[in-house]
Order: sequence, then C-alpha cells, then structure tokens
Amino acid sequence: MQTKILIPILLFALLLTACSPSPTGLEPVTLPMGYVANVQFSPFYMAEERGYFKEAGFDVTFDYRWETDGIRLVAAEEIPFTVASGDQVIQARSQGLPVVAIAAWYQRFPVAVVALPEYPLDTPEDLRGLTIGIPETFGASYIGLRALLKAGGLTENDIDLQVIGYTQIAALTAGTVDAIVVYANNAPAILEHEGIAFNALYTADYASLVSAVLATNETMIKEQPERVRAFTQAFLHGLQDVLDEPETAFEICDAYIEGLSENTETQRAVLTHSIELWSAPQLGHFQTESWETAQQTMLDAGLIEKAVPPDTLFTNTFVQK
Amino acid sequence: MQKLSKRAKNTHSHYTPLYLLSLGLLLSLWQGALWAIKDTPRHFILPTPGAVIERFIRMMTDGTLPYHASVTLTEMSLGLTLGTTTALLLGYAVAHSHILAHMLEPIIVTSQALPTVALAPLLTIWFGPGLTSKVVVCALIVFFPILVNVSAGLQNIASQQRDLFLLLEASRWQKFLKLEVPAALPAFLTGLRVGGTSAAMGAVVGEFVASSEGLGYLVKQGQNLYDTPLMFVAILTLTILTLLVYGTLGLIERLSLKWRFLNNTTIEA
Repeated sequence: MQTKILIPILLFALLLTACSPSPTGLEPVTLPMGYVANVQFSPFYMAEERGYFKEAGFDVTFDYRWETDGIRLVAAEEIPFTVASGDQVIQARSQGLPVVAIAAWYQRFPVAVVALPEYPLDTPEDLRGLTIGIPETFGASYIGLRALLKAGGLTENDIDLQVIGYTQIAALTAGTVDAIVVYANNAPAILEHEGIAFNALYTADYASLVSAVLATNETMIKEQPERVRAFTQAFLHGLQDVLDEPETAFEICDAYIEGLSENTETQRAVLTHSIELWSAPQLGHFQTESWETAQQTMLDAGLIEKAVPPDTLFTNTFVQK
Repeated sequence: MQKLSKRAKNTHSHYTPLYLLSLGLLLSLWQGALWAIKDTPRHFILPTPGAVIERFIRMMTDGTLPYHASVTLTEMSLGLTLGTTTALLLGYAVAHSHILAHMLEPIIVTSQALPTVALAPLLTIWFGPGLTSKVVVCALIVFFPILVNVSAGLQNIASQQRDLFLLLEASRWQKFLKLEVPAALPAFLTGLRVGGTSAAMGAVVGEFVASSEGLGYLVKQGQNLYDTPLMFVAILTLTILTLLVYGTLGLIERLSLKWRFLNNTTIEA
C-alpha cells in the first residue's frame, strides 16, 4: 500500500524537478563543438572548469555533434551559440541562415598539405601533378587546399584530387595518395609521434582565411546583446588562460576527454600546435580581409553562388572589453 | 489464364486511386508543415515541393542527377551481385553441413551485428576510397537476408520429396536441379528483394564515408552546403531507384515463380 502511494509521489517529484528551472539560476546552454572531444577545445574546458561560464550566467553542456547541425540549430533559434568554421558561417548566410560570428578563435588557418619526404613541398607550385587525398570537397580542408593551389598558380586540374574521408594518415602511409590535406595542429603531431618524416605546406603562409569561430544568430545580437557579450567574454577568458597556462590546460582536458591518458604525448603536441594557431595581440578579433578571401575562395570553388556583404558575417562588438 | 490476368489487372487498377490518395496525403502533410513553420526561425529546414521539383528537373536535364544515380546504381548492382553470390555459396554449404553451419554461424551473425556505419571507414582504409569499398559495404548488408532465406529454403525441403529422389536414384546434379533449386527459389527470391532494397543503404553509407559522386554524396553535399532542396532531390531519387530495384526484383520473382501462382489460384471455367 505504501509502495503504491510512494511511487506516484516520487514520479511527480521527478517531473517537477525536470520542469523547474536550474536551482542555481543559471541558464542551461548546449554548445555544439563540431568535432569529437579533443584538446583543441581546451579554451572551452578551461572556461567551464574555472567557472567563467557560470559567472556569465550559463550552465554549459558540451555537445559533440557536427558543426552543420550546430549552425542549423542556432539559425533556427533552438540554441544560442555554436562553435563552427568561418566558412560554415559564409555557407549558411549565403543560404539565408541568419548566423553571425561573434569571436574569432583560430587566428591562423589550420589547414595544411602533408606529404612523405620523397615529395618536396617548398612552395605551392610543388603540388602540381600530385595525387592529393582530402576528406571532403567542401569545408575548411577544401578551401584551404584551393587557397594553396591559387597561391601556386594552379587549379584542381593540375592535381589528382581523391576524396578519401577521414582516413588521411592511413592513405598516406599506404601510398594510396602522394599527399593529404590535414589540420596542421593534428596530423603532424600524430606523424611525429609515429616517427614518420613528412613535408608540409601551410595555407596560412599563403592566404589569410577566417577559421574557427564562436557564432550566434541575429535575434540574439539584437534582443540579448548582454548575454552574447557575457558568453563571448567567458570564452575569451578561457582562451587567454590556455595561452598563459598550457600545462594546466592539458591537465584540465583529462576530465573531458575519454582516453586522453593513453595518448598524452601526441595530444600534448596537438595542444602546443593549436596554441600557435590561436595566439594574437587581440584575442577574438576578426579581420575583414580574412572573410573576404575565404568568401572569394568559396565563390571560385562553386561552393556559394553569390557573395554576401562581409559585414553581415561577423561582428567585433562583443570581443571589446 | 486470360481470366486470371484480367483479375490481376483489375486488382492493380482498383488500388491506383489509393496510391494517388496516399501521394496527395503526403504532399498535403508537407504543405501543412511548411505553413506551420512559415513565420518561424525554422522556415529554412523544409523546402517547398516546387523548389524540390524545379531542382530535380534542372539536375535531370543538365545530366547531374542521371550521372550520380548511375554511380549509386552501379555500386548497388555490383554489391548485390557479390552479396548474392556469396550468400548462395555459403547458404548451400551451410544447409548441407551441420559442422560448417555451426562453424560459420558465429562469424556470419557477428558480421551482421557489426554496425556498417562504423565498419565503413575501416573498409575504406582496407579497400581504398573508390568503388571497391562501396561494393563491399553493399555486399555485407545484402548477403545476410539472402543467406538465411536460401539456407532455410533448402533445409525445409519435405523429407518425402528427398526420399522420393533417393528411391529414384537421382544423381547429385539431378537432385540439385530438380529438387533443391525449385524448393529454395521462392525463399531465395524473397531474400533477394529484401537485399536489393538494403543495397541502396549500403551504397549510401559507403558514399557518406568517402566519395565525390553518387546520391549519398549529393545528400552529404546538400547537408554541408545548407542546400536542403539538393538533399531532398537526392533522397527522392534514391527512393525512386530503390522502388525500381524492388519492383524489378518483384517482377523477376513473379515471372520465375509463375507456376506457383497458377497452382495457388482457382482457375474459373
């Protein structure tokens, strides 16, 4: 009899708990990261661990879905913020999705082309005639390659481009391709760890392209700018702390990344390479040129049909202290 | 026979209005959803039927869609061929040998328990990003239903029929051709129909992992370019392709088993 009364009461209590706001008064926010849990997300982990998000009024949950999903959810006003590549913001806005980048994360474009030592890669012209493996024919990897080809006076017709998915390193070591398009902070660290010598050509040495950003939607900017500023500043605070304390940042990552302790040497190198791409005198600031170059590259590649005004793609308003 | 054909035709034409009604209902639901999200931030997630049809026509006339459809169809056909051949050989072996059956069963069941989506990247590494990996993914998906049906068809041959062939001192070849093939054929063709529709899924999974062509590639491209009409066109074309494959295999089944339908139907005087 007591059980018959107790169970409904417990269920009702659970229901009330689910419906009631967070007891801490924080706003629950799901943040799509666009990739699997990785040391590259250490600025966010640092901001969470040191309570910067909470101070800003947010209870953040990291969600490792694809960046395209994050962009769609932000555009649909289902969630307020997402991590995404700058080219995804351009892509989305060209299709009428009202997303806006509010803080630059990477200051150097992270894409590179890597080859084994028998293929010299001193200049982009050295890409001529190579069989190059790429994950996809869209996104940051693709525009990074296109920018390198353009810098070398080449087109896609001058190389043999093979879409190989995310099997780049296996394809390179198996000799299926001569070179691969990778993220400069990730694959080189893995190759170094495996003792595999390589040559690399970095897009950032030849073109300034916008890279990973924090993004929101127009409604948030118009109606809740104080929330946008608070979240942005919390992120930038976390980013600054990582740049100042890389070792601490790495230790903090352990709580967020399954299996990090099995792979510390490589992942420590990934974080070191990543930090090199994030550093800047003014964290979070965008340069219009980087958006224009990225957009032109995407137009040339046929990824977008028409350009959108660069000033609709981003704002530096919320990175000012 | 004429009366049977006429009755069959009447049956199909009787259902045609229902098929059209079903299509009309689908389009109404689509339009209803569009009205529901029209003035909301979600308005971009669903394209209009007009936008999809316009894009479909454009891609058909400029040759893009036939090209990508042919790529996926090639992968499906080769995957179905490989999967069917493997299933026939293994199914026959398993039906005739208890030892082999018990030895292979764990391997066969495990091959199906492995999620193909997780296996596809490995297959791309082992077989390369080209046609082969997609064909292997298709074959893996297709072969299990065919194998199970072939094996069951052979094992369910009535003992009286086996005894009869034994009494008549039929050779192994005669037993295969005149007893086992007719007995297993219905089950095999049913499995083939199921496998045929699954082949589309296999091709798309392979293309999702690593491809620059095919209908799965178009879906992925549409997703990453926020081009929802392109996604819908690719999915629609894939559906049409799958229905055609299903229909063709169903027709082959009806033609191959005509004797069965005749025997099961009352012929009116």
